[in-house]
Amino acid sequence: MRPIRYALCLVIAFGLAVAGVETAFAQGSDFFLYVGTYTGFKWVHHSRPYGLGESHSKGIYVSRFRAATGEFSEPELAAEMINPSFLTVSPDHRFLYAVSEDPLSLGPPLDHSSYVSAFAIDSLSGKLRLLNTAPASGTSTCFISMDKTGKYVMLANFGSGSVSVIRVREDGSLGELTSFMQDVGSSIDPRIQFEPHPHSIVVSPDNRYAIVSDLGLDKVLVFHFDAQTGKLSPPDPRFATVYPGGGPRHLTFDPSGKFAYQLSEMSGIVDVFAWNSAKGVLTEVQRVQTVPHDFFGGNHSAEIEVHPNGKFLYESNRRTKSEEERAPDTIGVYSVDPKTGMLTPVEQSLTGGIMPRFFAIDPTGAYLMAANQISNNVVLYKIDASSGRLSQTGTEIKVDTPVCLKFVPAGH
Amino acid sequence: MRSIRCLAWLAFSAVLSLPSAWSAPATSGEYFVYFGTYTGFTYLREGLPAGGSHSKGIYVSRFQSSTGKISQPELAAEIVNPAFLAVHPNQRFLYVAREDPASLGPNFDHESYVSAFAIDPSTGKLHLLNTLPTGGTSTCYLSIDKTGHYVLMANFGSSSVTVLRIKDDGSLGEQTAFMKHIGKGKDPFFQSKAHPHSIDVSPDNRYAVVSDLGLDKVFAYRFDAAAGALSPDNPPFVEADPGSGPRHFVFDAAGKFGYSLQETSGFVSVLAWDASKGTLTKVQDAKTLAPDFVGSSDSAEIAIHPNGKFLYESNRRFRGPDLWGPDTIGVFSIDPEKGTLTEIEQVAPGGTMPRNFAIDPTGAYLFSANQVSGNVLVFRVDSNTGRLTPTSTNLKLDVPVCIVFVPVQK
Repeated sequence: MRPIRYALCLVIAFGLAVAGVETAFAQGSDFFLYVGTYTGFKWVHHSRPYGLGESHSKGIYVSRFRAATGEFSEPELAAEMINPSFLTVSPDHRFLYAVSEDPLSLGPPLDHSSYVSAFAIDSLSGKLRLLNTAPASGTSTCFISMDKTGKYVMLANFGSGSVSVIRVREDGSLGELTSFMQDVGSSIDPRIQFEPHPHSIVVSPDNRYAIVSDLGLDKVLVFHFDAQTGKLSPPDPRFATVYPGGGPRHLTFDPSGKFAYQLSEMSGIVDVFAWNSAKGVLTEVQRVQTVPHDFFGGNHSAEIEVHPNGKFLYESNRRTKSEEERAPDTIGVYSVDPKTGMLTPVEQSLTGGIMPRFFAIDPTGAYLMAANQISNNVVLYKIDASSGRLSQTGTEIKVDTPVCLKFVPAGH
Repeated sequence: MRSIRCLAWLAFSAVLSLPSAWSAPATSGEYFVYFGTYTGFTYLREGLPAGGSHSKGIYVSRFQSSTGKISQPELAAEIVNPAFLAVHPNQRFLYVAREDPASLGPNFDHESYVSAFAIDPSTGKLHLLNTLPTGGTSTCYLSIDKTGHYVLMANFGSSSVTVLRIKDDGSLGEQTAFMKHIGKGKDPFFQSKAHPHSIDVSPDNRYAVVSDLGLDKVFAYRFDAAAGALSPDNPPFVEADPGSGPRHFVFDAAGKFGYSLQETSGFVSVLAWDASKGTLTKVQDAKTLAPDFVGSSDSAEIAIHPNGKFLYESNRRFRGPDLWGPDTIGVFSIDPEKGTLTEIEQVAPGGTMPRNFAIDPTGAYLFSANQVSGNVLVFRVDSNTGRLTPTSTNLKLDVPVCIVFVPVQK
C-alpha cells in the first residue's frame, strides 16, 4: 500500500513540475546527478590560487536526486579519474563523456595533453564503466559537449587555443579526430588575452553550426558543422565580437532557438544575440552588465543557463575584492522577454558557498544546484516557477572541488 | 647476363640499406620516386614564396637505379600542399602531411591534414584511403614508427606533436598521443613560441625524438608502441645553442649517434645516443657555414648515406632582404668510432632553396629538391669519397619540397 501511495504522489509531483516543459524524462523523477571535480594538478597554471593542488577528490561522483522531494543520496565515486572538469551525456542517456584536464601537466617546456574518456552508464546503479580514453588534441581542455545526433564530442582546448571534434562509435567509445581548429590572435588583457583561449563549444539547435566562445580573442566564433563528417568549417561572417577585455566563456541558446546568451568571464557582461539559424549569424540585441555599479574588485563570471520554461536566465559570478578578501559570490536571475529575447534583472542571489564555477537546473525546472569549487559543496535552491527567484532549501551535498554537474534519468 | 648481375648486386645492397623488421620486397632496381610539393596557400604566413605554385599535388617518376634514368614526373594524386611524405615499412602505403590547405589567417589558422594512400604497384599512382586532421597546424613533418602501426607528426604552427594509429588496411585511425610544447627561444621573430619541426622514432622504436626549432631543444619521448603513447623522458630534452633552431634529426644506422641539424646556425650537433636511457649527449658541433658568411644558414634537410660513412645536409642561405645564397649541400665523412664529422665539400644544389633532398636506397644518387627554382637536380654519389657530381638529369617541378623512394615490386 505504501509504495503505491508513494508512487502516486511522485506521478502527481512530476506532472506538476514538468507541466508545459518538453523533456525526455518519462520514467520517474529520480535522476543521477554526476559531479565532475578537479582531483589536483602537478603544476598549477598561471599560479592560479584555486587550491587545485589540495583536492581530495578521486574522480566523478554520482548522487541520486529525487526531483519530487528535493532529496539527494550521499555522493559515491562513480569512476576514478584525474581532473574530470567537464562532463557531457549522450542524447540517449547511455554514455557519459568526461575531459581529463591536463592530468600530467609538467609545466614548461612540456604542457602535455588533456584527454577525454567515454563511459557507459549503468542505468540502475549510476556507476560508470570506462570504454576508452583518447587525447583531446589539446591542453587545458575545459569544456565538452555533444552534437545533437550523439555521434561527435566537441572539445574546447583552453590552453592550446584550439577546438577538436572526435567521432563517437556505435558502442559509445571514442574514435578518430574528425576536426581540429586552431584559433589565432589576441585581445587587450595582457595577463590572459595574449593568445586565444576557446572556453566552450556548443552546437546550434539545428545541429548545423558550432559556436565557440574564445576568452582570449573576445570573439564568439561561428563554424559550420557537418554532422555527416564531423567537420567544422568557418562560414562568413565568422564571428561576433564582445566588449574588449570581456573574455567570452559560455554560451547557451534559449529553448526556442531564436536567441543565444553569451557570458563573458572578466566583464560579467551577458550579450543577448538574435540567432539567424539560416545564415549562422549572431546579432547583438542587448548588452547586460551583471556586475553592480558600486562593485570594485575582480569578477569572474562562470556559467549561464536558460530555465527549461524559457522565461528565466541564470548566470554565476565568482568575485574578489582583493587578493585576500572574496566578495559575495552570486547567481544572477533575469527574466527573458519571449519576443525580443531581452533580459530584465530579477535578483542576485547568494550562492551558499565560494566560487560557483558551475550550476545546473534540474530537468523538471524545479531546482537549481550551485557547484562551489572552493567551499566544496553543491547547494540546492528551489526555483519559483512564476518569478524565477531562488530560495535556499538548506540541502547541500559535500564533494571536494565540484566544477560540473549533469543529470541523467535513473532507471528502475 | 648483365641484368642478373645487376639484380644480385641490388638485392645485396637492399639488404644492407633496409635493416628493418620488414622483408624488403624483391625489386628490379626500379623505384617510384614521389615528390611532395606546395600547391599554394590561401593565406601567406611570413610571405613565404609558395603562393605562385602551379603544382597540383604529389608527382611520381620511375627511376632505374642502375642507370640513373628517370621518367618525367606525373601527377600521382591531386591534393593540396603535400608538404611531407613518409612510406610505410611494407612499402604499400604512403602518408602525406597536407600543410594548412585552407589556411585563412587570423583569427582562423584552420588545420593541417594527413592522408593515407595505397600505392598502385604497377603504375605508382596513389589511391586515397582516408584523410584526417593532424590535430595541429602547419604540419611540416611526418614519419612512421618501425612497426608501421603509427604515424607521428610535427605541428610547427600549433607547437605540438601528434600520433595517429594506422589500421591494418593502411587507413588512419584515432589519435593516440598529443604533446604540446610551451615556451620560446632567443629569436623574437622565429622563436616567439615552440615550433616542433620533426619527429622520428629511435632505431629500437622505444623513443621518439622531436626537434623544436622555437625552443632550441631536442626532446626524447618514450614511445610505447603497444598504445602509440608518448611520455616525457627524464631528462626530457637536450639543449641546443640559443637561437640555433633545431630542425631535422637523423640517427646513424647503428643507433649509436644522432645528428641534429639546426636551421638558423647551420650547425650539425653530433649527439651520442644512449639507447637504454634515451639520452643524447653532445659530442661535436660541426659548422656548415664558411667562416666569413654573415646571415642565416636556413639549413633544411639532413641524411646519412646507406653505407653509413657520409652525412649530407642542405643549406638555403639568406644574407638579408633579396640577398639569397649561396645555397649548398654539405658533405661530411663520419668517424665510425666517435661519430664525429669532417667536412668534405659544399656543393651547389643546382637551384634555389634546397628544402629537401634524398639519397636513393642503393646510395648511388642524391636528388636535390629546389623549392624556389622549381627543379630537382640529380647528383651521382661517389660511395668511396662521398662526393657529389651533378648529372644532366634536372627535372622541372613546381615547388618541390619532399622526395621519397618506393621500390617497384616485380
